Amino acid sequence: MSELSQAAVKATAPRALRKINTRALMIEGRALLALLLIVVVFSLLSPNFLSADNLIVMTRHVAMNAILAIGMLLVILNGGIDLSVGSIVGLSGVIAGMLLEGLKLNSLDLFVYPAVWVVIVVSLGVGTLAGWVNGVVVTRLKVAPFIATLGMLYVARGIALLITNGTPFSKLNGQAGLGNTGFLTFLKSSPLGLPMPVWAMILFAVVFAVVLSKSPFGRWLYATGGNERAAELSGVPVKKVKTRIYVLSGLCAAAVGLLLTADLSSATPAAGEFFELNAIAAVVIGGAALSGGRGTIRGTLIGAFVIGFLVDGLVLVGVSQFWQQIIKGAVIIIAVALDQLQQTLQKRRSAKAALSPPKPSERMTAPV
Amino acid sequence: MFRKIAAIAATGVMALGLAACGSSGSDSASSSAKSAAPASAGASQGGTIAVITVDLANSYWQAEANTAKAEIEKAGFQATVNAHGADPDKQNQLIDTAISNKVKAIILDPAGADESVAAVQKATDAGIPVLLVNAEISKQGIAKSQIISNNAQGATIGAEAWVKAMDGKGKYVELFGNPTDNNAKVRSDGYAAVISAYPDLKKVGQETANWDRAQGKDKMEGLLAAHPDITGVIAGNDEMALGAIEALTDAKKINKVKVLGFDGNADAVEAVRAGTMVATVLQPIVQGTTNAVAQAVEYLKSGKTGVADEKQSIDCVLITKDNVDKYKAPFVMDK
Repeated sequence: MSELSQAAVKATAPRALRKINTRALMIEGRALLALLLIVVVFSLLSPNFLSADNLIVMTRHVAMNAILAIGMLLVILNGGIDLSVGSIVGLSGVIAGMLLEGLKLNSLDLFVYPAVWVVIVVSLGVGTLAGWVNGVVVTRLKVAPFIATLGMLYVARGIALLITNGTPFSKLNGQAGLGNTGFLTFLKSSPLGLPMPVWAMILFAVVFAVVLSKSPFGRWLYATGGNERAAELSGVPVKKVKTRIYVLSGLCAAAVGLLLTADLSSATPAAGEFFELNAIAAVVIGGAALSGGRGTIRGTLIGAFVIGFLVDGLVLVGVSQFWQQIIKGAVIIIAVALDQLQQTLQKRRSAKAALSPPKPSERMTAPV
Repeated sequence: MFRKIAAIAATGVMALGLAACGSSGSDSASSSAKSAAPASAGASQGGTIAVITVDLANSYWQAEANTAKAEIEKAGFQATVNAHGADPDKQNQLIDTAISNKVKAIILDPAGADESVAAVQKATDAGIPVLLVNAEISKQGIAKSQIISNNAQGATIGAEAWVKAMDGKGKYVELFGNPTDNNAKVRSDGYAAVISAYPDLKKVGQETANWDRAQGKDKMEGLLAAHPDITGVIAGNDEMALGAIEALTDAKKINKVKVLGFDGNADAVEAVRAGTMVATVLQPIVQGTTNAVAQAVEYLKSGKTGVADEKQSIDCVLITKDNVDKYKAPFVMDK
């Protein structure tokens, strides 16, 4: 039986993937057009928009949101949502700041100064752990993702405030004698002219694009998002997949926390507030469906660029702060509304096609 | 076929939207340039000065932003106004964009003393002078000026007026500002220094209300339930004090309790006029911002701000029923 269902998954998955890819291309095509349009309009309005320096700066701004959005995409592909990423950004940054300033062991009356790589690993670990808790609460305690991660939003932020007592850690340089220097110099460096956040974005994008398209995990994820019950019946380890995506989303958030802390040269407990909303916006502009099963890394990246370039461009051109918010909101709504329009058109056409010879298999895999 | 139509429609709508916002942006830019041109001979140097404030939906920072914009345009420059909402990352991005935009100078109300150092350093490294107003950063020698209100002096004069109204005795509670903001502690310490000289004044409770009116009301209600016999409230800012006044009015105790605020915003001044607030302390934000712009313009001309010290503090002004009529515009007192 299990062999049979494995085979069934293998047989249907590539076809589903092909379908997703053609559709994704169209959606990305549209988001890409919007991006091109933004670039053209703003470069006409401001001579500084297209300068190499500004492009690098804007891409650095985009990078942090893009990394969060990649994690968010995994969760959204599954039909979930992760509202806690902004708070995890703050928490992991604060953990890094605390370790770099020196960890006091009260029982031994001793300060411990971990090496930079330890700091990075521990911070990433804390973010990942928070994501794992999200996953367990969602899968084992059966709490809806919106609620579980809303809870984590408060808990993680609260822990960050508790650790700092409201005051940021800002002595992040380390001391040569203690062997904990290099956090700032490493994360603020720009190998080959590109800032570290941009490299991190490229790394995350490539790794997750491969994982989504080539690994069984990727196929399972699309399958559970498309139809969780069907996926479970055909032998997909639904709970394992679900837990893993929240873990990965937490890891992405922790990475952003480290990059942001270096960028600000200080670890502040308020860092990352409302980041989750920008990440969700990037994912939906990139053509993913909040109901799950549809979306790509490429689309999400483009979505992040659309948001980032739009926001920076509006500031550059000097549009009033209040208009900036209205325009940003309008772009998000228009993007998703057009997406829905296209879905409706497609459904109508496939309904027409279904009138002649029925194809039950196709209708089963059709996304909601 | 449908795909093509949908795609074309999509592009059209987006193009319209963007063109609309784009043209409004360029219109305002060109119109401000036109209006600035005849204003002064300084227009020939032109250029933009970026104003980055905290929250444009708050009257205090509105006064700061409006003053800065008016003064900048008066000096023959153009102004862009943005707000970081106390988010250091947003501040960082706005600074980056200002650098890309090759602005001549930046007037900044910083988002946190430690968190803002790197951003100010970045602009300074790019050759753009940064002048801080309203709040300071924890490093000197980067910004050209740091112009702040003298919060300690303000707290002292406020507390003295409040102690007088209290007759030097009674139980009171304190509403504390956002603990991540240094001013919360400075003001609280300033109050305490004055009050400690009066042993008959007893503090029976303290709550953090994060500068916020709604939280001020909630916390005040809790404090009133625990200590119904208080006769005084000291608050770190006007918004929290106004929240406390709401709670006291609901509890019909406003006539027995003396409330002290800080900032001098329009609502608080009305409360002083109505007698529900004993006193508030006017922060000279308009004066400070005017000075910051003047120093920025001077720096662009001569390479010096014309003021010896980077850190400059401006004394606050007490507002009580006696002088409340001199408050003519938001955050401005007639001499």
